[in-house]
Amino acid sequence: MTVAIVGAGISGLACAAELAPGERVEVFDRIPVAGGVHGWRASETVSLQRAAVRAGAALRLGVTAIRWEGGQLLAVGPDGVYRLTAAALVVAAGTRPLTRAELGLAGGRPAGVVPAPVACHLAENGLLAGRRPCVVGGGDWAHRACHELLAAGATSVTVLAPDGVRRAMPDGVDVVEGLSPVAVEGGPRVTALIAGDERIACDAVVLAHGLAPLRNVEGAVWDAPDVVHAQPLDDPATVAGAREAGLRAAAAVRTLLGSEAAA
Amino acid sequence: MPPDDGHGRRDYDVVVVGGGVVGCAIAWRLGFTTARVALVEAAHDVGEGASKGNTGIATCGADCAPGTLEADLVTRSSPRWEELCTSLDTPWRRIGTLAVAMTAEEERGLAHLRDQAHENGCRADIVSGDEARALEPMIAPGARAAVHIPDDGIVDSLRLTIGYAELAARNGVAVLTGARVTDLELEDDRISAVRTPRGRLTTRFVVNAAGLEAGRISALAGGDEFRMWPRQGQYWLLDRELGGRFAKIVGGVPTEVTRGIYCVPTTNGSLLLGPTAVDAEYPGEKAVDADTLDAVFAAAHRLVPSVRRDQAIKLFAANRPASDPVYRVGRDARVANLVHAAGIRSTGVSSSPATADLVHSLLADAGAPVEDEDASAERSLPPLPRLLGNPAPERLLDLDPRYGQVVCACEQVTAAEIAAACAMRVPPRSLDALRKRTRAAGGRCQGTVCLAGVSFLLSLHMGMQPWEIPVGEPEATLGVAS
Repeated sequence: MTVAIVGAGISGLACAAELAPGERVEVFDRIPVAGGVHGWRASETVSLQRAAVRAGAALRLGVTAIRWEGGQLLAVGPDGVYRLTAAALVVAAGTRPLTRAELGLAGGRPAGVVPAPVACHLAENGLLAGRRPCVVGGGDWAHRACHELLAAGATSVTVLAPDGVRRAMPDGVDVVEGLSPVAVEGGPRVTALIAGDERIACDAVVLAHGLAPLRNVEGAVWDAPDVVHAQPLDDPATVAGAREAGLRAAAAVRTLLGSEAAA
Repeated sequence: MPPDDGHGRRDYDVVVVGGGVVGCAIAWRLGFTTARVALVEAAHDVGEGASKGNTGIATCGADCAPGTLEADLVTRSSPRWEELCTSLDTPWRRIGTLAVAMTAEEERGLAHLRDQAHENGCRADIVSGDEARALEPMIAPGARAAVHIPDDGIVDSLRLTIGYAELAARNGVAVLTGARVTDLELEDDRISAVRTPRGRLTTRFVVNAAGLEAGRISALAGGDEFRMWPRQGQYWLLDRELGGRFAKIVGGVPTEVTRGIYCVPTTNGSLLLGPTAVDAEYPGEKAVDADTLDAVFAAAHRLVPSVRRDQAIKLFAANRPASDPVYRVGRDARVANLVHAAGIRSTGVSSSPATADLVHSLLADAGAPVEDEDASAERSLPPLPRLLGNPAPERLLDLDPRYGQVVCACEQVTAAEIAAACAMRVPPRSLDALRKRTRAAGGRCQGTVCLAGVSFLLSLHMGMQPWEIPVGEPEATLGVAS
């Protein structure tokens, strides 16, 4: 039977390597390399990718899965359209920090309220989200955003960690723990973040708090009987946790296919 | 008419002030004539005021006060939507509204609502709670009865406004953004020129479609006095996965004060909850607050219990122009060459085609050279195919391989769609303006994954550095210089 996997990170690769010896497996990822947040150079990425391919899994990298309908996955890439009829779909598409709406942030809509992945991506290209940013969050994304912003030239960084800091932040970062962000102030650019009774002056608010699964395949955004999600929300994220989630998904797929006995 | 270069002295037959849905519709209508027309808009893009913060309902006019100009213009516009939206490449569906009564008292209000609809010539029926739930299973089990208004529609009001402006521009109308009217030059009882930061425009006629600024524009001309103030509305936008399951617009029973809180499936599949109606002091007041949002959510949840807070993708506020009088569409009593299309509160989208026709005939009555139709004018925009929901993506990739490059995964917006938007006559000059045209970064992750990539693409098309790209108005850039 055929299994479609969306996401070639650790979870997707682990699931593929586990299932490929018995099933026909195709793995799709919108990015042209495997590894997801853990990166293509991580040793586990390299070994899982090798194991999956050796077991017969096909990797479709740089191809975006867009729709799951009637047991068929539709995906598009620069080289064309893919239609894969499959008995099950595994969504292992990773996670992202919570959005402004998910955080319930009140206030206007000034410029400078930026999701952490965007702030990091821009900083890597030499573009600062703000000189005095306030980073909301205490886990992986907050940690990474602090590093990237400081490296790109931020002069002072404040971390607001509603659930406390779970990773050591770089030297020189001010940390405020235990307060939840309430509202942003300012316009046209943000001037402050309100958290509890505190008013944190800043010229950017970097959203790095919480995690939500990335679900963008139409027809598989919510739970469906032939869809298995493998998107662990651990923060900090670990390779072991991602691998376990992939293996759990593989087990769920086997149950779904009724092929446990064969395995 | 030669395209405008943004500099120097220019000469027009008609200058339309205001690039909201009303002004753009007027420009669209005038674009079919041989008149030389300019549209001036203060903001960096068209559709930046009430036209981008509304429910997206194109009402058939059922709940307008009978006998008013508003009722007349809305009901005359309603039958035109199918053809109009096809010609403007604007998403549109006539899905109907259920105005739901949850209490005995609300139920007593339904007959009035139905009778009012009939008085306006609109179809409307009272249906039982069970019949209402058969039409829209999302409605609360406790609903007692409803008025079903089958001819209400939903429209992408951003694409409608931009579509009007784009077709106008293709037909020779100069669309000038970032052109706030700073002064009007007068000769005797006529306006002779319009001054803006983008130059001085001499003109024979002026249309005042400036929304919240309409009172100021009239005052600059020494024209009719009318009082305008912002009426703020706050909204929730919920996930596409939920909105896509709605068959009907679901509303409560309107009161004297407001049409009430609606659950509106949008043309892109999301679900809008709102609006509130609170008079604000300043047009710039566009902040959301937790208490108001709680009230909106509670009102929506009462009608549709399956809405959930964690489905929110955006919380936002917008101002619509409240005014006294409302629907001031007519020639100024003192300034001979000034026509107002002002005070168009709440139903500006729904009345826009008929309002444009009315302004056209008012201009003709006033002696403007707008009576000759231009036989060579384009009647419709070339449709731009989109990947999202497309039944045959293979054909899109044959058309342009960039359809295979999904930039915004939530809304499945491709590099081809972004390139096409950037090639428009009224091009996007900010990330917001690009989102309005393509939905890029407007989905459930709100740009968390794609906004950096979208800004790089936009910077390529705009010939700017990524850090110079504005989020909205030019001074509000994505980043700061490091």
